[in-house]
Amino acid sequence: MLSCGEVMESISPEDVRAEVRRYWAILSGKLKDKLEEMYSPAAIVFTGKGKRSEPAKLIAVRRSRQSHGAGYTSRVELDSIEVQIVGPDVAIAAFTYSYHTDKIGADGAQVRLDSLLGRATQIFQRDEAGVLRIVHEHLSATVPPEVQPAAGK
Amino acid sequence: MNISPDEIRAQVNKFWDFYSRKSKTEFSEMYLASATVFAIDSRRMELARLMLVRRERELLGPASSVAAKLGPIDVQFLGADLAVASYPVHLSITRVLPGGRIYQSEVPSGRVTQVFQRSLEGIPRILHEHMSSAEPVTVKELPRT
Repeated sequence: MLSCGEVMESISPEDVRAEVRRYWAILSGKLKDKLEEMYSPAAIVFTGKGKRSEPAKLIAVRRSRQSHGAGYTSRVELDSIEVQIVGPDVAIAAFTYSYHTDKIGADGAQVRLDSLLGRATQIFQRDEAGVLRIVHEHLSATVPPEVQPAAGK
Repeated sequence: MNISPDEIRAQVNKFWDFYSRKSKTEFSEMYLASATVFAIDSRRMELARLMLVRRERELLGPASSVAAKLGPIDVQFLGADLAVASYPVHLSITRVLPGGRIYQSEVPSGRVTQVFQRSLEGIPRILHEHMSSAEPVTVKELPRT
């Protein structure tokens, strides 16, 4: 926590990249920190499949439950994280990623459940305590469109 | 002067108005020079100025069209001159590719995030944009005219 009169350091791209990596480490179960603490209380999120934006606190609880579920493992690979510093306390991180979920059966065999290529925008803002938190998130899948040929082809 | 929600909503409405009326200059002026974009159909982020070249060629030509029905626009303030607009959108797009092939797509569950920053001229312009669809998009090839 910053004391009164203390000057907040400006954000560096590496600070933001570290927070992005921490987020995904939590999501894939590699870190036991709480996902909801990554978000500002007023944050809103577009999940990969949600038709509307939702409050981040609801999403974080749902995701934590999924990622820590027994018998499931997940792995994420992040591509290079582009960071735009857009003010003294705001930064935009944008990147692509691949996310794999596996289920481990009773016999110990690992079955690939899901694998997706995604795109992410995460907007971070320092809170009053100087902690970077996500205020807005937009995740989307990169699914190529299904093309129906012209009639008569 | 701080950015207001009405100012941001007005900019969002202008954006889609310029897009659907194919007002190329006004449309490109919605973006800051350094703006970055995740287009609805691209795998990677790109500079807005590159995306604009493609949109101009494929979506702003005489046989192309873009129609948008916007849902409610949420506005989050991140500072005196910075705000995020996010909203659902239903898009109907007719796109002409180089070589003359024409494609029609319906995107009933589109989602948009646009980060606006006030420019030196005092106008909120897009600094970052992420457009996506909540569902896989089906594209229909149309007979050439």
